[in-house]
Amino acid sequence: MAIEFKLPELGENIESADVLTVLVSPGDRIQKEQGVIEIETDKATIEVPSAVTGTIKEVLIKAGDKVKVGQAIITVEESGGKKEDMSKEQKSSAAKSEISVEAKLEKKPLPKEPEKKQGGATVEMKMPELGENIDSADVLNVLVKAGDVIEKNQGILEIETDKATIEVPSAYRGKVVEVLVNAGAKAAVGQPIIKIELSEEEEAEAEPVKKEITEIEEKPPEHGMESVEQEIPRGVRESILPGEKDSQPPITKGAAPAAPSVRRIARELGVDVNKVHGTGPAGRISMDDVKNYVKKLNEERSQRPAATVKQEPLPDFAKFGAIEKRPMSSIRSKTAEHLSYAWTSVPHVTQHDKADISELEKMRKAFNPKVEKAGGKLTVTAILLKIIASALKVFPQFNASIDMEKKEIIYKNYFNIGIAVDTEHGLIVPVIKEVDKKNLFELSVEMNTIAEKARIRKISLEELQGGCFTITNLGGIGGTYFTPIINSPEVAILGVSRSLYEPVFIDGKFEPRLTLPLSLSYDHRIIDGADAARFLRWVCEALEQPMKILIEG
Amino acid sequence: MNFPLLLLILTLTPSTKERVRVRIINWRKMDRQKLTVIGGGPGGYAAAFFAADLGMEVTLINNEKNPGGVCLYRGCIPSKALLHVAKLINETEEAKNWGLEFSKPKINLDKLREWKNKVIEKQTGGLGILSKQRKINYIQGTASFLNSSTLKVEKAGGGSEELKFVKAIIATGSVIATIPFLNIESKRVLNSTTALDLPEIPKSLLVIGGGYIGLELGSVYNALGTKVSVVEMMPGLLPGADRDLVAFLSRRVAQKFEKIMVNSKVLSIKEVKDGISVNIQDGEGNVTEQTYDYVLMSIGRRPETRGLGLENTKVKTNGRGWIAVNEQMKTDDDNIYAIGDIVGEPMLAHKASHEGRVAVEAILGHKVAFEPRAIPAVVFTDPEIAWAGLTEIKAREQNIKVDIAKFPWAASGRATTLDRSDGVTKLIIEPETQRILGVGICGPGAGELIAEGTLAIEMGANATDLKLTIHPHPTLSETVMEAAEVFFGQSTHVYRPKK
Repeated sequence: MAIEFKLPELGENIESADVLTVLVSPGDRIQKEQGVIEIETDKATIEVPSAVTGTIKEVLIKAGDKVKVGQAIITVEESGGKKEDMSKEQKSSAAKSEISVEAKLEKKPLPKEPEKKQGGATVEMKMPELGENIDSADVLNVLVKAGDVIEKNQGILEIETDKATIEVPSAYRGKVVEVLVNAGAKAAVGQPIIKIELSEEEEAEAEPVKKEITEIEEKPPEHGMESVEQEIPRGVRESILPGEKDSQPPITKGAAPAAPSVRRIARELGVDVNKVHGTGPAGRISMDDVKNYVKKLNEERSQRPAATVKQEPLPDFAKFGAIEKRPMSSIRSKTAEHLSYAWTSVPHVTQHDKADISELEKMRKAFNPKVEKAGGKLTVTAILLKIIASALKVFPQFNASIDMEKKEIIYKNYFNIGIAVDTEHGLIVPVIKEVDKKNLFELSVEMNTIAEKARIRKISLEELQGGCFTITNLGGIGGTYFTPIINSPEVAILGVSRSLYEPVFIDGKFEPRLTLPLSLSYDHRIIDGADAARFLRWVCEALEQPMKILIEG
Repeated sequence: MNFPLLLLILTLTPSTKERVRVRIINWRKMDRQKLTVIGGGPGGYAAAFFAADLGMEVTLINNEKNPGGVCLYRGCIPSKALLHVAKLINETEEAKNWGLEFSKPKINLDKLREWKNKVIEKQTGGLGILSKQRKINYIQGTASFLNSSTLKVEKAGGGSEELKFVKAIIATGSVIATIPFLNIESKRVLNSTTALDLPEIPKSLLVIGGGYIGLELGSVYNALGTKVSVVEMMPGLLPGADRDLVAFLSRRVAQKFEKIMVNSKVLSIKEVKDGISVNIQDGEGNVTEQTYDYVLMSIGRRPETRGLGLENTKVKTNGRGWIAVNEQMKTDDDNIYAIGDIVGEPMLAHKASHEGRVAVEAILGHKVAFEPRAIPAVVFTDPEIAWAGLTEIKAREQNIKVDIAKFPWAASGRATTLDRSDGVTKLIIEPETQRILGVGICGPGAGELIAEGTLAIEMGANATDLKLTIHPHPTLSETVMEAAEVFFGQSTHVYRPKK
């Protein structure tokens, strides 16, 4: 039985990617985790590993294509224990299984078939299509937990789209292995929501009604009592009578009190009638309520400052000399968009300071051989990682994000720090996770591997997400101070320039000291100037006197 | 745009160029405005007529001579004609309580059948004329999909043709559901279609299935003089409807019919001399054998997608064989929409017509959705039962907190003049906002009265709205108003001691 391998979820808000290279061809044997295609998203180049083992039947995409998450990439003749079992079953009752397979395929309205995991009857159920133009929803409640045995069509999640609150029914029957979403999170269509270990019947079961009818038809017309017991399935009867479950449209859940004409107008104006505030008795929504709501929306929209400044027309450069036009790479265009957004939406201030790292440099040199043995390199950046993690603990407003819409400040209790890496493909910011829990050895080694991965474009999207703060070090190139742009939604970034020997006036005379120029850009909406000065000073002092970390950090 | 045409445009003067472009745009628009409807029932013909009214070029493919479908040919309409007769017969009997005695009616079955058929002809013939007036291309035949833009049409007059379509609406409805092993070949085993043909007036009739079809047809035969028995597997008649509404019907049917067997199932049936022998097992497991003159199988209806060639399209069906559609009635195939019974419960003509109109507007790019708040359901027995919106059963199932206000018809002057106090009107009300969520009515004419309830639900009316709306006296419609008064404990004709 051939199965389709589909483009898995790539990360938040990524729905599609460009295919750079196809790494396999029909007939190839493919192992699980083996690379299938190389794709380029807005954020990075990724190799997509196979989730299945088997022989490739067909390659459904080619280099240069745009593929969507959930789109089939290849079909694979699967091999492995479970599938063989299934084929045995199939042989034992060929006709029956055929029905069951067919029924399974058309069983549910989910356009995306779950990928079969190897070696067990565990499937991932994905967020089903919710309706036209809805690609994600807020999870209000998770109605099941790991270990629960659930029935098909039993509600798993309660979600809220901008159109309605919906209960997502299970497409399977079985035991919940893992719940992959949390209440309050956003879930995208196609995103796995739970892992279910299928109950045995589910595996072999044909869709009930169909099976029953088929079986009945195969029976001789005159029949004994014993089988009659099963022959009049209550479920079937019930379903064909009027007034049963589905026969009335839902009324209470999210159904706004609005007349049909009002609902029609709302739909025509592209407004979710359930969001309109009704001014009538008990919140009944009138035609005017809908119109006022639209007016209000429009006003809000026009008051909001334009996210991007209007592009001025470019002159014809060719008039002045020879030019060459090249398309912007997707990393470049994403960087441009992201930084323009950060620059226009975040009020930046940059604070400069200088740290005396003469003593630190001696220690660094002393410890470096040990670190190099472990496969890393003890750099100033590595040390700064550790210091910044401590500084973030002391100054929590630097480990935060702002939600202007909700007027909320989100404080983070984890310490992930991004390092800006200059690669030939463009600027990439891999994130070192849980810096506070790692020692300098570990950090140095990790930095080395991750920077290398970034350079050869093998970095995963996960490794680019979840940062709290960014360090950008231009010291290797030169320069004194610069004004880095905050990697929004983070609220601060530390720019490191080249360290240099300077005469420092100590105890009545000038001494040559190694100093490190530091530039801290911060989001003035949440961080006051004095706090920024204190933060940077704390970092400088920690560089000068690392004991500070042990005492305060 | 084809190549010579392009050349033509390039060689024209600016003004003619403009005109040609306009014509091309119109032509393309025309293309978009082509619609093929498969199935001419209340869903299909409503869609086809509406599309024609909106200026579309419509082809309607239907297996009968005229539009009408099961509803007009073999369902709602003929059964209502016969139920009207049944009602008249029953009332002449009841009239003896009012000092009017009629002799037993002489029933001329051929004439009755002829009258029923005339009703059908008049209705369907009328639709045929309406179809012609709208210049609809009506093809009598059956169609199946060859792909997402081609149909194969087997014409009723013989021969077949391939037909290209731009957008199609599937409205082929449902078929009578059967339990194959009970489905023996015998003219004494009727289904809803053959029962409407009135083969004779049987001495005894067993109705298998206590749903609305069985009860309606059972009532017809009962009035004509047949001893009617009903066997139902569930604990009560009309599963799904609120019990307090069904109670009045059950009581009356228990008096009029020979026997009502609930919690019982038919194990086997076979033809014997002069009848059908049936083995019935009751709730305790006891099996009895009984011979009936005729048996009516009425266990419901089911969708039929076989033979439509859906496998050649992207259309998907769900578990029970119903075509999956979105709220614009579009299937998984962008060119194909589906409406009516074939997309699922409730399998009601009025639901199909509304879905049909939504599908047409969606095809024309209007922003519409099938989003009713209530779909009225009516059982045309005596008394009638009708409901819309939330039922009490469903509120309980879904843990929705509701208040119930009931007005018994015994307190209605109009009901008393009809000597029919066996009825009730009830409102299902949201406690906080006092909004009407559901309405249920039992009694003669409930099917007419439910329309007001449906409108109340659709308009988001609350109990005060119903209470303050002046209803004409003396009518049964007052029961809706008074039920709202009951909610406030202020009904003129019902006294409820203060809590």
